Amino acid sequence: MEIIEKIKTNKSIDNQTEIQKICLDKLQSSPLPNPRSEQWRLSNKSKLSNFLDYSVNENNSKFDIPYAKNSQSTIRLIIGENCQIKLIEKNYSIQQLSEDELQKYIKQQISFFNQNENWSDILNLSLSCKNNILGLKINGSKIPRIEIFSHASSNSLNAKTLIIFLEKNCNVELLQVNLGEDNSSLSQSTFFCLEENSSLNHGVVSYGVNKSNLLNSLNVIQQKNSEYNLGSLHFRFNYARFEIRVKQSEGNAKTNIKGMQITKKDEQISTYTKIDFDGPNGFLDQINKSLADDKSHAIFEGSIIVPKVAQKTDASQLSRNLLLSHLAQIDTKPQLEIIADDVKCKHGATISQLNEEELFYMRTRGITLTEASKLQLSSYFQEIISFIPVSKDRWDLLDKLLNEN
Amino acid sequence: MQSKMKESDPILEVKNLSASTDNLPILKGVSLTVYPGEIHAIMGRNGCGKSTLSKIIAGHPSYNITNGDIKFLGENINSLEPEERSQSGIFLGFQYPIEIPGVSNLEFLRVSTNARRKFLNKEELDTFDFEELVKEKLEIVKMDQAFLSRSVNQGFSGGEKKRNEILQMALLEPKIAILDETDSGLDIDALRIVASGIKRISNAQTGIILITHYQRLLDEIKPNYVHVMSDGQIIKTGESDLALELEKRGYEWTDNFIKET
Repeated sequence: MEIIEKIKTNKSIDNQTEIQKICLDKLQSSPLPNPRSEQWRLSNKSKLSNFLDYSVNENNSKFDIPYAKNSQSTIRLIIGENCQIKLIEKNYSIQQLSEDELQKYIKQQISFFNQNENWSDILNLSLSCKNNILGLKINGSKIPRIEIFSHASSNSLNAKTLIIFLEKNCNVELLQVNLGEDNSSLSQSTFFCLEENSSLNHGVVSYGVNKSNLLNSLNVIQQKNSEYNLGSLHFRFNYARFEIRVKQSEGNAKTNIKGMQITKKDEQISTYTKIDFDGPNGFLDQINKSLADDKSHAIFEGSIIVPKVAQKTDASQLSRNLLLSHLAQIDTKPQLEIIADDVKCKHGATISQLNEEELFYMRTRGITLTEASKLQLSSYFQEIISFIPVSKDRWDLLDKLLNEN
Repeated sequence: MQSKMKESDPILEVKNLSASTDNLPILKGVSLTVYPGEIHAIMGRNGCGKSTLSKIIAGHPSYNITNGDIKFLGENINSLEPEERSQSGIFLGFQYPIEIPGVSNLEFLRVSTNARRKFLNKEELDTFDFEELVKEKLEIVKMDQAFLSRSVNQGFSGGEKKRNEILQMALLEPKIAILDETDSGLDIDALRIVASGIKRISNAQTGIILITHYQRLLDEIKPNYVHVMSDGQIIKTGESDLALELEKRGYEWTDNFIKET
């Protein structure tokens, strides 16, 4: 109940938006997620409670963007800071969703929410004020790369919401960066709607510093013949959850997901994915990698839902995990729920340590054990990093961050 | 020729070496001495301990030396780490070279070469200088520069992997090279390229140990000595004609030596 009081104290009922009121109402019935539910049973309760400890902050303090914009044509947006955009060019247009469009879409989404599954979204929409919601509709071709930043300030709980409609036949490359300062909590909810024949190459890079927390929820609806490619990386969080829900609403769509989480010290980072095939001929190729060191805990739970209507679905989900310390913990549970009888679905999980033979090979070439381990880890990262739409200069930054990590 | 070789100190001396893994004895008293300029061949059935011997000399952490010594250039190296052995001039060419996805071959070769150069008190090479050096060495194994931009051994054919091993040997300029079944999986042309590469790299100051099953590599590189291993021991040593005899009679012939022993 404490979080609700905090929200109410922060904002009187008269100042709350309709969406906030609806979500607060939902939050009232379950102020915390059910710790016995599949989605939350492994979540560290004291860390979740720490997430909610900070005071709600609707204002946005200045922060240093970790790298310079590499090209004038890149569109850079910071949620809560410079959300005003209206670009109508010859080949494309990027415009903000109107207040009505936003309300209508969010309300529609809320009607599908499941109290436990979407608890992070309910919390986000209870907290997110108008200034911290960015809604865009994009159409056309030759669209410049888009970068969207969300940021949580020290000693505060910030909520940011992103809603993007990709209209028909539109191809977009979008990098989303979520940054947490020391002792901060960021609630980020993202909603994408990919219309027919559209495609989105989406990168999510989230990292914090000491005692940063993150609840990152991503909801994607794909119409037929759309393609959604996601490359994600989460690291350096005291507590982070990345929830991915993709619905191929009519089937005949393609989803590729490559994600990675790195945990150290006593951090807990988890990824939950739910991929719904609501039509035939859907395609999914998913790999999730976890790397857990020290006393940390990495979690992956993935489910693929293939109802009777989703014949000829071709889905693959693989969880690969590296355990670097005997005190670290990895939980992984890829699962399939298949009703359709003509499908090609597979899933698997591996947990291993650094490959001794690879290390020995490198050492016989004069490379020290420490260097060989670093090389092996960077090779482990490579498959995921190369899938994130980032340019070389940002890759150098990531490389540096990963090495520091 | 032979007496001239032995005027100098040995490069490698393996003395009564016994080793085990998971408490299972694998080597049971192997002795082998290699002088500068010598080429030794080790033959034997699968599982007789040939590859294990090579890995133990290179310092594989999974094996425990239970008895005996390995001396390299007069120094006992039993407790040296694999990288220290490599830096000081021991090279192991792998039977199955490992693929390292995501690590560029060029960078891997540069880091390795610089580790050896640092040990030799030579200046470390930056990317540009290294590219010059590696281009020169690529010619030895008739490899295309395109191999450098690919990940280490990833997607390489069997022959390309073996040539990449010889390229590494050329760059590291070891004092002794142990080549574990470098000829396996090679067609005739690739075998010739690899053999010619080995011959070009070796000289009067280096030693070579060839581990092989087949005479065809020894037709290209004539060994000074041939050793036959069985059950973790060297059961017979002879000159190059011993390999021909083995080719003719098979390993059953060597079983008699064990009985005699």
